[in-house]
Amino acid sequence: MTGDALWYEAAQVVGITNALNVAADTLDGLEAVDEASAPAEARVLFAEMRDFYQRDAIPPGFRFIARDPTYAAEVWATMRHAFADHRLSRRLKESLAFAVSVTSRSASGADFHLSEMRRLGVGPRGVMEIVGVTQMFSSYTKIADTLQLEPDMGGIAPEDPSPAPGGAPRGDGSLT
Amino acid sequence: MPTVRLRAAAEYPPSSQKLFEASRAWFNYDFTEPPAMSRVMAWDVEFGGPHGRAMKRAMGPGEFTRGEKEMVAAVVSGINACEY
Repeated sequence: MTGDALWYEAAQVVGITNALNVAADTLDGLEAVDEASAPAEARVLFAEMRDFYQRDAIPPGFRFIARDPTYAAEVWATMRHAFADHRLSRRLKESLAFAVSVTSRSASGADFHLSEMRRLGVGPRGVMEIVGVTQMFSSYTKIADTLQLEPDMGGIAPEDPSPAPGGAPRGDGSLT
Repeated sequence: MPTVRLRAAAEYPPSSQKLFEASRAWFNYDFTEPPAMSRVMAWDVEFGGPHGRAMKRAMGPGEFTRGEKEMVAAVVSGINACEY
């Protein structure tokens, strides 16, 4: 778990997950796209999603934003890239997205990413591990904020000289 | 600035010193003073003890590695906008 690339990938997952959850959980006032009568571009997008997820599933939010298929296509390209296997596995990324959704109280996001975790092989114990970490750090963070604690643990992590994706190595450039 | 006075480890009773030892072992780091959060949790061992054990159980290796769980913890902290 060393290297900036891992954190960039995690940040991408957090960002795009939150973006989709925001739309899915607040746009009930907008009519979802009716796939049968949707423009061809939207239907192609939905087909790509079903292929990516290998099941009849459309990530939350897309049925609303697909009203603008050109915009939705860019968001989907972002999401597909963020969730694909790179340095971080798709299994871990879906677990991060589940933790994000639970923490931000997105029921639709939690449900979707929980289904993906299970599809990718995470068992009941693994799900509870992510729930446990999410709960415990939802507790620690609020205790820390209530007492306005200042960060004091930065010294325990060694400096990481590995490069960001496409970037130049820092320090001696070694990958540890 | 913290809203409470963070006491030095030496000010805590022996029952709390066990929590500090557990914290040192968990992080595998010889802190000059235990982290602020450890000192907060040690203020009331009847809260901090089970809370710490629940955290240790959640963070221990299982289907996910400790490193993967630290990343989940960082993400949760980020969503909660917690700098600590």
